[in-house]
Amino acid sequence: MDLDTVKERAGPRAFSPADDLPEEYRKAATRMIEFHANSEIMGAYLERPFIRQAPSIDRKLAFSAKVQDEIGHGQLLYRAAESLGVKTREEMLTDLANGDGKFLNCFHYGMTDWVETPMIAFFVDGAAMRRQATLRRTSWEPYAHAMDKVCFEEGFHVKHGEDILRELMTGSRAEQQRTQEAFEEWWPRIIQFFGPTDDKSTHHDFATSVGLKQQSNDDLRNAFLNQYIPKAEKYGLEIPDEPRIRKRDDGTFEVEEDDLDWEEFFAIAKNSYEPGLDQIDGRKAAQEAVEWVRETIDTDATTAGGHAPQAAD
Amino acid sequence: MIWEVFRQEKEGQYHTHCGNVHAPDREMAKQFAAIQHGRRKPTNSLWVVPKDEIGEIDAEDVAFGGTTDKSYRWATAYNTAGKDAREVVESEDEQADAEKQRGEA
Repeated sequence: MDLDTVKERAGPRAFSPADDLPEEYRKAATRMIEFHANSEIMGAYLERPFIRQAPSIDRKLAFSAKVQDEIGHGQLLYRAAESLGVKTREEMLTDLANGDGKFLNCFHYGMTDWVETPMIAFFVDGAAMRRQATLRRTSWEPYAHAMDKVCFEEGFHVKHGEDILRELMTGSRAEQQRTQEAFEEWWPRIIQFFGPTDDKSTHHDFATSVGLKQQSNDDLRNAFLNQYIPKAEKYGLEIPDEPRIRKRDDGTFEVEEDDLDWEEFFAIAKNSYEPGLDQIDGRKAAQEAVEWVRETIDTDATTAGGHAPQAAD
Repeated sequence: MIWEVFRQEKEGQYHTHCGNVHAPDREMAKQFAAIQHGRRKPTNSLWVVPKDEIGEIDAEDVAFGGTTDKSYRWATAYNTAGKDAREVVESEDEQADAEKQRGEA
């Protein structure tokens, strides 16, 4: 299939591994899905320490279930990316460990306090779900199928995260204050979740023309703000003055881009943001620590003369 | 030799198991599958798999979903304030359906 045919036939779940697709499509889809998969894994690693720090047994159970889900989403997505035939799952995991794999800006920042958990589990997951819901209509069928399962599970993460936020904001005054501070720290990063505005987005046009991407960064950000600003206010959070957010007459939002630190954002995008490198190194150490498990599985599979082994994570 | 058949009704949907055919080799199995399972019901694609190649575990081997109460891992367990985003509502509805089906099983 040539590129023009791809653009012509592009539609929800239009292409599957049986189709002969041009290199450009395969590369763009791989880039997008690999980024998504890496983000699931790095998010899980960021949140993992909070299983131990959870303040109650219920929170501990729910948080460990969530981390388990996110790792599972990563696995699903690596398979969806692998089916494009550009990169193997092994290569993607190695790139992630080496600092060559790209992932979501929010997961480059460290997290130290329990009050920060709803920033990820409610706001970032809420933003992610907004985007993921649109990707159930992406043109790469295995990606869309993965999104069916991801969206099914993700509702629990958002609701649980919101429940933590509710608990903190109805707790002691000190808790409320620390939550507000965490919100002010995380808010600009959360706004940047959707990436640069449409006019500055480099990959948007192609991804849209071949049906991979379903909605633009601006539209997604608007829909997110529309839903989550009232929610934040309902729990008593004050929306920070910066970055400036204005409500237009039609009810949509306008973000003052200049108030956001794009230098930091693009440093993160290139994996050269200094504090974020700890996240990558931590993940690499974890991957190396379980190397013996992968080796054992590989050896077992070879001696049994079975099919090609799939490495465990 | 028995071959299990999975039918996909429309482009983009999942292949779901729809029955099996008896055939000596893959080519014949594909032809029989097209005739037996692709003729009446709307079909976009069929997968044909040797029965021996399918591994099975059932509820006797594994307690699917575990044996402890896991209500904490469902969106339906959390009461939150205000209107949820459309996609969160969808997810919660899907989870409520799944919960109901588990109860009926």
